[in-house]
Amino acid sequence: MDSARTRLTWLLIAIVGALTVCPVVMLVLGSFSEGLTAFGHFTVDKYVQAYTDPGFFEVMVNTTIFVLASSLLSTVLAIFLAYLNTRTDIPFKFLFKIISIIPMMIPHLLFTVSWALLLNPSNGLINLGLKEVFSLDSAPLNIYSMWGMILVEGLLDLPIAYLIIAPAMASFDVALEESSRVCGAGTWRTLLRITLPVLRPAILAAFILGVVRSLASFAVPSVIGMPGRVHVLATYLYEMIATGFATDYGKAAAVGMSVLVASVTLIIVYRALTAESEKYVTISSRGFRPSVIELGKARMPLFGLVSLLSFVLIVLPVAVLIYTSLVPYSMVPSAKAFSMMSLKHWTDVLNDPISLLSLKNSLFLAVVGATLGVILSIFVAYVIVKVKTRAAGVLESLSYLSFSFPGIVIGVGFMWFFVQTPLYATIWALLLGYIATYLPYGIRPMSSAFVQIHSHLEESSLVCGASPLTTMRRIIVPLLIPGIVSGWILMASMFVRELTLSVVLSRPGTEVLAVQILRFSEDGLWGKLSALGIVMILISTTLVVMATLVGNRFKAAQG
Amino acid sequence: MEIRIRGVSKYYYSDGKTIKALDDVNLTIPSNKIFTLLGPSGSGKTTLLRCIVGLETPDTGEISIGDDVVWSKDKNISVPPEKRGLGMVFQTYAIWPHMNVFDNVAYPLQVRKLPKDEIRQRVAETLRFVQMEGFERRPATKLSGGQQQRVALARALVAEPRVILFDEPLSNLDAKLREETRKELRAFLGKLQITAVYVTHDRVEALALSDSIAVMRAGQIVEIGTPQKIYFDADHRFVADFIGRANLVKATVRAEEGGCTVVDCGLGRIVCQHRDIPVGSEATLCIRPEFIRIVSGEAPAGSNLVNGRIESLVFVGEAYEVEIGVGAEHLLARIDPDAHLVEGDAVSFTLNPAHCLLVAI
Repeated sequence: MDSARTRLTWLLIAIVGALTVCPVVMLVLGSFSEGLTAFGHFTVDKYVQAYTDPGFFEVMVNTTIFVLASSLLSTVLAIFLAYLNTRTDIPFKFLFKIISIIPMMIPHLLFTVSWALLLNPSNGLINLGLKEVFSLDSAPLNIYSMWGMILVEGLLDLPIAYLIIAPAMASFDVALEESSRVCGAGTWRTLLRITLPVLRPAILAAFILGVVRSLASFAVPSVIGMPGRVHVLATYLYEMIATGFATDYGKAAAVGMSVLVASVTLIIVYRALTAESEKYVTISSRGFRPSVIELGKARMPLFGLVSLLSFVLIVLPVAVLIYTSLVPYSMVPSAKAFSMMSLKHWTDVLNDPISLLSLKNSLFLAVVGATLGVILSIFVAYVIVKVKTRAAGVLESLSYLSFSFPGIVIGVGFMWFFVQTPLYATIWALLLGYIATYLPYGIRPMSSAFVQIHSHLEESSLVCGASPLTTMRRIIVPLLIPGIVSGWILMASMFVRELTLSVVLSRPGTEVLAVQILRFSEDGLWGKLSALGIVMILISTTLVVMATLVGNRFKAAQG
Repeated sequence: MEIRIRGVSKYYYSDGKTIKALDDVNLTIPSNKIFTLLGPSGSGKTTLLRCIVGLETPDTGEISIGDDVVWSKDKNISVPPEKRGLGMVFQTYAIWPHMNVFDNVAYPLQVRKLPKDEIRQRVAETLRFVQMEGFERRPATKLSGGQQQRVALARALVAEPRVILFDEPLSNLDAKLREETRKELRAFLGKLQITAVYVTHDRVEALALSDSIAVMRAGQIVEIGTPQKIYFDADHRFVADFIGRANLVKATVRAEEGGCTVVDCGLGRIVCQHRDIPVGSEATLCIRPEFIRIVSGEAPAGSNLVNGRIESLVFVGEAYEVEIGVGAEHLLARIDPDAHLVEGDAVSFTLNPAHCLLVAI
């Protein structure tokens, strides 16, 4: 049995290693090569070219401002919301739960597009409205700028920051604050010297994750940054490989190396911080109800602010997309606009062969990719949780490595790889890339499912006289089903909306939904974009709702 | 510093029901004594402590510490906790995990903006007092439970508070460490001339530590007294039962004789400690297991002599725990471990009237 386990471990290390290490190795090799067709001829020219480019400095400055400011925005908002939810008597606390779940429903690309629809300078709905009301000559607001990017990226990263900070605040022992008060410190001093410092690891972790995500973000830089000529690393890379006459994958790999190194380093710091923050957790033994701060007169205004934020995060993007998909061109909602509504964009999109192809491809990738991904995840999670050898530790590190991969950079790595194989420009290239990049999302629910299966459950079945096969069928698989289902749905919903890897790997014939939406956005075909976007939201929302229902059902069944 | 609590009530609302956490509490805590609030969980002892500190706001009444009114409904006074000048040791110790021992203890002094040299000196003194010298640079996350407890005590003492409050400070320690720490705490507090308010549900802790104990139940103070008074001479059945193991026997008062009260009960006619209970009324006779003395032969003069039969016998190390049947009554007794008794033996035992306690039903 042990030798079988060892063999399984090494087999998985080979598979996962091939999936995650291969694109990195190819990226490194590619960065030292002349070009896609001249692979293997060593040269440092690409590095020299990439890092001496006069435009590069500006891109670096922009990137730094963009990632730091958007992470700061999301972290500050997350602290504010988490504090209101866990420590005050603000009404309708369920809103906070909704705010933390919506990123699962609305793909980043569409969220970004909806803001462009609202605030673009030529025909953004809010701009049109403001021009009418104040009879202005030019649009007062321009989303196509650095502040627009920071605002939208900050809002996009808010839920993940909230999900990190809120539990830390909830498990915070209120006695730490109370003892500071008794020691003679006032509310503000207690906040600054006790509350925030104790939460520092969680806050820093949220901030760093925000940096990693905004560094990897492609939706915001491409939809908002590129029209405003504000280039960051992600779009700088994209322009090297996707636009212009001479695509240069070598230079892209050379630039991508520094993004990858930064990202991996930050994730290592992030993991150290989360370990630190667990050390700080001090739940009081008695569960004294934490004293709820009465907001008094500020209660309703603060609630208004939270409602506004929920509206902006959830209702507005979807409403704008639905509206835009129905009106013939951008106009402020009015009686005239409503009278002109039609399903023209919808029929156009549903008759557009490329849109239909992208829909078909995305569904195929979601179903087949998630199925294969989950099967691989089951075995990997089994080895990580149940086989505690050094090799299993290696497998764990390998399988979480891709968590830190910025999609577009790793896409370049994959490109270098697939060009050498017959997989290039096929849907299988996308499939492999998806599974490799999103493997941690499949492994996580699976390994928590395996952790729940205490070995005694397995052993007592064996002692009761059941064969290993019967034990597997009657005990282990039933207990694993919730993990399998939620892992599958999580992966599928991510594959439906995948953008960053797809923009690199997708070729004519292998278009996917997000790439097609990006094309519409580049061409300014907002109506068609909105119609296709809503299809994408529907698929993705259905998957998330299914996941929640299945999860609840199994929770109820298991009592 | 004396603490006066007048007519303090505190209500909680949950599921549409009102829970009286504190129900019109009147209490004077004498200065420079160790005063314990003892009661089962949910009796309101912690709520009362938190009202004194200012972490909880009462709904009615007035609280004053020394000459300062810190809370008054009628006068609309509410002094926040940081302005009350108190020290407190929390149940979880609440040692700040991001600071080392020195910073934890220095915090109250830093908040009061004392000069750095004085802070260093007073922290060193206080740490010496709690026997934690040399631990200044130790991170808070690297302290054992007992060490955390001492750091918490040092932090509560360092600013020389008017009153120090303890919220079940030993309940997170394991049994052996708890006993040691209790002794230490008694020694520390004995050396200080300070008013200490101590909350616990552990009767041994209360008896061992306190100068005075207030027993609470359902948001009210049932009885106040010295440990001896509460243990030997409680007025209430609840108190007698809660403070130690007791055999409770239904009794009827028959007479007053020679400064003693005489009752009839399942054990026969028993002479008890004097109580002002009218002849003919019902009462409860309370006998602690350790005061049941097995005798052979004559009973000492003035003691009650009762005959019974050993029903069960359990060896617990330092004693036998014995159940003695007397008629329909069953009494728990603790007897010498070297007694040669077996189940079914007929025994005689004496009850000293001083330890036969009559309490209201």
